Amino acid sequence: MTKILSQIWVVIVMNITSIGQRIWMSLAAIFAVAVVVAVLLSFLAMTEGFSKTLEGSGSNTVAIVTRSGSQSELNSVLSRETINIVTTAPGIAKDANGDPIYSPELYVIVDGIKKTSGTEVNLPMRGISSVGFELRDQVSITSGRMFETGKNEIIVGEGVLREFAGFELGTTVRFGKTEWEVVGTFSTGGNAFESELWADAPTLQSQFQRGSSFQTIRVLLETPDDVSGMAEMVENDPRLFLDVVTEADYFAQQGEALNGIVIFGWVISIFMSVGALAGALNTMYTSVANRAGEIATLRAIGFSNTSAFFGTLAESIVLSVIGGFVGAMASYLFMDGLSASTLGASFTQVVFKFELTTDLFINGAFLALGIGLIGGIFPAARAARLPVIVAFRGAN
Amino acid sequence: MNGVLTLFKWVFRIITAPVWVPFWILWKLGEVTGLNAVIEAIAMSTGFYVVYKNLTRKPLRLSLTMLAIFVAFTIYGTLTAFQNAFDAGVELSADDRLVSVNKINFTQPLPISYVNRVRPMEGVASVTHLNWFGGYYQDPQNVIVTFAVDEGSFFDVYGEDLVMSEEAKAAWLGNRQGLIVGESIARLNGWEVGQRIPLNSNIFSQQDGSSDWDFDIVGIYTGSDPQIDTNSIYFHYKYFNETQSFGGNFIGFMAIKTEDPDLNEAVIKQVDDLFANSPFETETVPEKVFNKGFIEQIGNIRLILSSVVLAAFFIILVIVGNSMVLAVRERTSEIGVLKTLGFTSPRIFRMVLGESFLLSIMSGSLGMLAAMVMIGVVNNAPIQLPTLVMTSDLAIEAFTYMALLGFITGIIPAVNALRLNIITALSRN
Repeated sequence: MTKILSQIWVVIVMNITSIGQRIWMSLAAIFAVAVVVAVLLSFLAMTEGFSKTLEGSGSNTVAIVTRSGSQSELNSVLSRETINIVTTAPGIAKDANGDPIYSPELYVIVDGIKKTSGTEVNLPMRGISSVGFELRDQVSITSGRMFETGKNEIIVGEGVLREFAGFELGTTVRFGKTEWEVVGTFSTGGNAFESELWADAPTLQSQFQRGSSFQTIRVLLETPDDVSGMAEMVENDPRLFLDVVTEADYFAQQGEALNGIVIFGWVISIFMSVGALAGALNTMYTSVANRAGEIATLRAIGFSNTSAFFGTLAESIVLSVIGGFVGAMASYLFMDGLSASTLGASFTQVVFKFELTTDLFINGAFLALGIGLIGGIFPAARAARLPVIVAFRGAN
Repeated sequence: MNGVLTLFKWVFRIITAPVWVPFWILWKLGEVTGLNAVIEAIAMSTGFYVVYKNLTRKPLRLSLTMLAIFVAFTIYGTLTAFQNAFDAGVELSADDRLVSVNKINFTQPLPISYVNRVRPMEGVASVTHLNWFGGYYQDPQNVIVTFAVDEGSFFDVYGEDLVMSEEAKAAWLGNRQGLIVGESIARLNGWEVGQRIPLNSNIFSQQDGSSDWDFDIVGIYTGSDPQIDTNSIYFHYKYFNETQSFGGNFIGFMAIKTEDPDLNEAVIKQVDDLFANSPFETETVPEKVFNKGFIEQIGNIRLILSSVVLAAFFIILVIVGNSMVLAVRERTSEIGVLKTLGFTSPRIFRMVLGESFLLSIMSGSLGMLAAMVMIGVVNNAPIQLPTLVMTSDLAIEAFTYMALLGFITGIIPAVNALRLNIITALSRN
């Protein structure tokens, strides 16, 4: 057993150290695998970044109330009356005075200019109160100050500043007839709220002719994840047509919007792998043909055909692994942290960053290994079955 | 061990079947009909035979290289068709059509009274209005592009793109709950004329609080061009306005047909000036600009798709180029012999280049055929996608790339063969 293992080891080392003799063919195989892995990882990093951004937005201590069936904040409408009723529901946390802690919010879409394309895109403008501000985790003003109530002032998320033009601190922006001054910028730790413009809710209501209606309410829950008290009340009150979910669930669902891209990425990558596989097979068959004399010599002096098999297989896997590593490094260098934006479920831009996690690297590694294994197994079998006499003849 | 290998071999053969089966059939047919012999005779006299023999001397390497090219062109054909379909919304938009939306953003409403104020303007041929309904059918995930429109003027503005019989138009006008549906979306949902269907809205609700509306499908329209998207459905604004519970007498946007595209600028100015400084200012742009902006919102799809295509081409360039160099290098002594026999260097140059062209064009064409199959599959798939079309432009472009690939991968070995000195060639072995 040890003898076979040491034979295999000798052949592997020999094959790998002789890669230099077949440098161009080997580089072609490495390159092909690298490109395939880079393409796969780029698609995965994009969707990972998008869903992380949205999932990071939702808190499980906050519930979000929307009109039944609206599916996104944009489509929902709640009247003042509805809000007054639903905020009496059990399960809502109370402040020191015994009043429920809730934030009625307005969500309107305004135009912004996307820096990369120079075209108009949909940006969400949210009307909130100081309670709404406190209901967000990790929220902080990074420059300037908070807007003042009753004034046409906005604060903008850092994602907006990164991707869209015209919202720098101190500028005045015009939405229809109304003018707004950017008085501050805020960060919420990289989640979807950073793609928004925030203003004082009553001011936004009056400037956008919204009367006393809101789109959503966010309430602080007494017990995290427990919306049963509110849900029960909504169900039993014939005046209420509402959906109540935790904010975490709401955003987790929206984060799935790009899941189709994952499938698309895999299909494309696997298809491209077939091309890369052809390259790997070509390289390895050539390698076996070149080493026919060598293999025959080893066989003649007593090496087993198993060692020829594993030697070739190992060479193929080494090439693919190098390729996979190069591809992963390239996508890490060029893609990780890349800022982009796309339309989210609320029909507005969501700013996110490409994110390459360890899990994704494992996917890339599997793909590379798969190519190496399949690309090596047939040539390895040929090497193992090479008749000694034919091999010698071929070497001449 | 051998059993596993045989299994693998068969799996591999089956996977690669699209590449080799057509050739095998062609070859068999040629054998039976005697066509092969005729071709051989012609090929012999033209020198093509040597090219062909050279190409097929290592069938395994040939099929692997072909497979790589095949895959790249399948990806190219399919993804470019996708890209064209996305661009079609912009390319096919009418030059004489303007879209007028709320200046704040197109999701903000406009008063319905605006339509009648725009209609008599100089240069305006017709105007209609549309309102996004947020419709879905049965499942909230099954969102359908649904608009409440002014049924009277709808076809005045969109009639050149959307084609429907006069009877169906009359039926639509005569039925308050009438719904007209596009060919694609009708096929997807199995809808037929005469069917009564409920639709839900994720934005609006009826006065009784429910969110479902009943409709009679009265007509199925088609696109005047195969690339015109027919995934939208349209119903009467009046039905919508009378039954919904809020936001009455507001519309989403106006679509204006001008008498001549040259008058666009003048009409845009008239409309936007008229409503300037009102609570609902308008922003009027040519349809082309509006559609382009809309697609750009999703992100740079064009960049993503072309990067993938570029990556696929890069892979084959390296793989094919390498095996061509290798194939010719192995033949060094043969080329020496040919030269000794009196084959001129330019002829050998042409032979090598011909080999790479043949390889590239044969496998590339197969790839494009596979892309056509893929397009057919996608078009019939139960998902809402724009119609993909293999246009002649795309095919011509593909052949250009095949020729280019043949040239780039063949030129280095061809030049090497051209320069090869007989003595070096024969002594190298």
